[in-house]
Amino acid sequence: MIKIKNLSKSFAHNNILKNISAEVAQGEVIAILGPSGSGKSTFLRCLNLLEKPTEGQIFIKQQEITAPSCRTHLIRQKIGMVFQQFNLFPHMTVLENLIYSPCQVLKESREKAIEKAETLLKKVGLFEKLSAYPSQLSGGQKQRVAIARALAMEPEVILFDEPTSALDPEMVKEVLEVIKSLAQQKMTMVIVTHEMGFAREAADKIWFLDEGKLLEVSSPKEFFKKPKTVRAQQFLEKVL
Amino acid sequence: MFDFSVVIESFPYILGGTFVTLKYTLLSVIFGFIVGAILALMKLSSSKVLEIFSKFYTSIFRGTPLLVQLSLIYFALPQMTGYQISAFEAGVIAFSLNSGAYVSEIIRAGIQAVDKGQFEAAVALGIRPRLMMKDIIFPQAIKNILPALVNEFVNLLKESALISIIGEADLLRRANIIAAEKYIYFEPLMAVGFIYYVLVILFSKMATILEQRLNKSD
Repeated sequence: MIKIKNLSKSFAHNNILKNISAEVAQGEVIAILGPSGSGKSTFLRCLNLLEKPTEGQIFIKQQEITAPSCRTHLIRQKIGMVFQQFNLFPHMTVLENLIYSPCQVLKESREKAIEKAETLLKKVGLFEKLSAYPSQLSGGQKQRVAIARALAMEPEVILFDEPTSALDPEMVKEVLEVIKSLAQQKMTMVIVTHEMGFAREAADKIWFLDEGKLLEVSSPKEFFKKPKTVRAQQFLEKVL
Repeated sequence: MFDFSVVIESFPYILGGTFVTLKYTLLSVIFGFIVGAILALMKLSSSKVLEIFSKFYTSIFRGTPLLVQLSLIYFALPQMTGYQISAFEAGVIAFSLNSGAYVSEIIRAGIQAVDKGQFEAAVALGIRPRLMMKDIIFPQAIKNILPALVNEFVNLLKESALISIIGEADLLRRANIIAAEKYIYFEPLMAVGFIYYVLVILFSKMATILEQRLNKSD
C-alpha cells in the first residue's frame, strides 16, 4: 500500500529524517512512537508531501508520489489527514466542513455528499451537531468531526498527527474509540501518538523513531514486552 | 463676531461638494481594493518576479507624497501622452493607485494572519490553491482585513481634499470658493471640517456594526 525507500529530510543543515525505509500493508494500523524531536511528525507529513522529502522515494499503490511529474493534489485526495489542532474550517458548519471537499474536489453531487456526511456523523456520534459551527464544539467533538471530514473523501489511508495531544484528558477516549472502530473496519492508518495504551491495543505494528532514524519495527506485543534497542528500552522506561 | 449666515445660505452648494468627495472616495476605494487584492496575491505568490514587482510598487506609492503622484498624473501625463486627462479621472486614478499600495499590505497581513493549519488542512484535502484562497482562506482573512480597510476608507475620505488642488469642486474647494467670494474663512472652513468629521464618524460606526455581524459565526 505505502512503500518508503531511503527517505531523508533536512532543513538547512539539520538532518531531521535519516534514510528511512518501510512499508505499510493494506488495512494495517501503524503507530509511530518516539521521543519528542525524533522527527515523527515530519515523517508523517512527508507521506502526503506537506513536507517535501530531500531524498528518497515514496510509493502509494505502486505510484511514486515523489516523482516530479506526480500531480500532488490528486495524491492528497486519496490520503486523509487528521491534525493535532483539528483545523476545521471555522466559518463553515459541521456539515459544510464535511461536504466541501467531496463537492468541490471530487465533484460529487450535493445530495450524495450530504447523505454520506450524515452517515459519517452518525458513525462518529455527532449527527445532532450537523449545523453547529466548530467553535460550538468541544475539543473531542472537533476531532471527531475532523476524522469524519477526512473519511468523507473516501481515502485509501489516513494519517493522524498526534490526534489526542491537544485534548483535555476526559476527551481522549472518545476520539480513540473512533480510531479503534476504523481499525476494526480495516482502514489503513498511520498514527503518530503518545498514547501507549492505545498503540499497544490498536496498532498492528509499532515504528520506533529516534533522532530521525527508524530504529525498530515490531509488533506491539514484542515492542512493549521486550524492545530490541536500548533507545527504545530507555524510552519505554520514561513513558510507562 | 462670526457670521454663519453665509454658510447657511450656501449650504446646498457645500452639500453638493459632499457628494463629489464621497464619489471620489467610493470609486477610489473600489478600484484601490481591486489593485490591492491583485498586488497582495502577487506578494504571496511563489513567483519571485511578481513578488518583487508588487513590493517595488508598494514602496514607490508609499514612499512619495500623494500630492506628487496626483500632480504627475494630472499635469505630467498630458505632457507625455497628449491625452487631456480630466481632473476627475486623474483624481480617481491617483487615489486608486495609491490606495492599492496600502490595501495590498492590509490584505497580505490579513491572509498571513490566518492560522497555518487552515492552509495545511485545505492542501491535505486536495483543494487547489485558487479554491482554497476563495472559499477557505479569504472568508477568514476578511475579518482581519475589514477593520483596517475601513480605516483606509476614512483616510482616503480625508485625503480626498487634495483633489481641490487640481480644481475639482469637492468639499474643501467649495469652502475656499465661498471664502474668496465673501472674504470670510473661518465659517466655511469650520463647516466643511464638521461635515468631514460627521462622515468619518458615520463610516466608522457602520464598520463596527459590520464587524460584529461577521464575527457572529465565531
